[in-house]
Amino acid sequence: MRDYLDTRPIKLRAEHLSLPTSRRPFVLALLLGLIAGSLLFLDRQGLLAPARTVFQETISPVAQRLTRLRDSAADFWAGIQHIHHLREENAYLREQIGDLRADLIARERVLVENTWLRQQLSIQSRQPWELVGAEVVVNSPDAGRRVMTIACGYEEGVRVGMAVIGQTDMEPAALVGIVEEVAPHTAKVLLMTDSGCQVSARVLHDGTSTLGLVQGQWQLGSRLRLEQLDREIPLTIGQVVVTAGLTSVLMLPLPMSYVPDGIPIGTIETLLESDDLTQFAELRPYVDPDQVRYVWIVLNHGD
Amino acid sequence: MDSAQPRRLEEHLTYELLLVLAMAALALVQVTLLPNPLGFSPALLLVLVICRVLLAIGLPYPDKEVAVAFRWAFYGGVALDLFSASPIGSHALALLVAATIVFAIARTFRVEGPLLPLVSVLVGGVAYELCLALVYNPAVIMHDWPTYTLVVVVPSVLLSLILTLPLFFALRWLAYGRRSPANDTGRSGTPYL
Repeated sequence: MRDYLDTRPIKLRAEHLSLPTSRRPFVLALLLGLIAGSLLFLDRQGLLAPARTVFQETISPVAQRLTRLRDSAADFWAGIQHIHHLREENAYLREQIGDLRADLIARERVLVENTWLRQQLSIQSRQPWELVGAEVVVNSPDAGRRVMTIACGYEEGVRVGMAVIGQTDMEPAALVGIVEEVAPHTAKVLLMTDSGCQVSARVLHDGTSTLGLVQGQWQLGSRLRLEQLDREIPLTIGQVVVTAGLTSVLMLPLPMSYVPDGIPIGTIETLLESDDLTQFAELRPYVDPDQVRYVWIVLNHGD
Repeated sequence: MDSAQPRRLEEHLTYELLLVLAMAALALVQVTLLPNPLGFSPALLLVLVICRVLLAIGLPYPDKEVAVAFRWAFYGGVALDLFSASPIGSHALALLVAATIVFAIARTFRVEGPLLPLVSVLVGGVAYELCLALVYNPAVIMHDWPTYTLVVVVPSVLLSLILTLPLFFALRWLAYGRRSPANDTGRSGTPYL
């Protein structure tokens, strides 16, 4: 700009120009000013209002579009100017969204926990057990050993050998496994379907019961197997099998000493060939241990 | 009847009609497209009229050119009044007052360089705003003119000053740009404005 001004100076009043010396421009200005004043006077009297209304109605759509165009451009420019502020606001809003999502998750968790506690109350109202609930943290990582980790441990009163029960739809609360190891706030549960899990059991039939042994069979291609039953007992499909709780009654210092009697295990599904002394059967467990997401540990049996 | 006279009249009417349309378009641009930061809209037509007056003084037949500038003020002012719902004649009157004052001063004093349009818009802008104030708020301007000047007049005039130099040089290029400097001072030819 400076170079331009230096090389081409503005000379509006060159000496050889003829200066406007007449009064014609002033007369014209006065004349136009009078017209403008007259228009002003007429408008104040309201005489020009109809013409103004018609004009503005006609021009309104065009003016509206142009104004919107101006506003859009202004918004765009403002967005560019305030991009730093917008970034900060965006980060703040993202943080708030994260907090709100966490709150929402917490509320959903409370709802789920409420459902579990209702189930626990329902079980406790029918059985003389003191229960503590725990969420399944980790399921069995491989097929070689059927275990699960639950979010409840020594600090919550869980001990090795306690029975762990679960419940699925349309089925009673039933045995899931036995606590095998206990940490302060977690515990490892050996699932009853594992081949290393053996529980004394009773088969309920004809108003009486017969003792036997339930052993996991998952690694052997099945789920539960009922063994050591007197071959004279008439077994039928659908008979109910519950825990016997023998170690608990005898107060023996064995790993399963806390398993009470009367915990449902399952029903007889298949009758197997028997040997000379005992007979065998396959059981259908009431609860599939792989499907449960929340379990209860039986702390005592109403003592 | 001589055929030349009607043709000249037609040309004159066509020119006036185009001038009216151009001023209306510029007024529409001022009231719609130009941004209004903090509620102050740049007075595009005011700056254009004042620059036109300044350039008219330097053109051949300055009386005629200044008359054209005054017609710019009148047409543009009426268009502004119609678009902005202000009393019809108010902007026209204010623009005419500003243009006349600038013309009266600029024809008397010898001022060169970019200072001329800036000072002219400053003076014309104050006259324009005060004239509008007398039309809109005569009571306010009479009783508390310092506050009104500080709150309304000064920001408006400063905003108009921003437009001054770009518009002045654009108009100057349109007026002189296609002619050689030698012809700038001659009376032959007509300006492009």
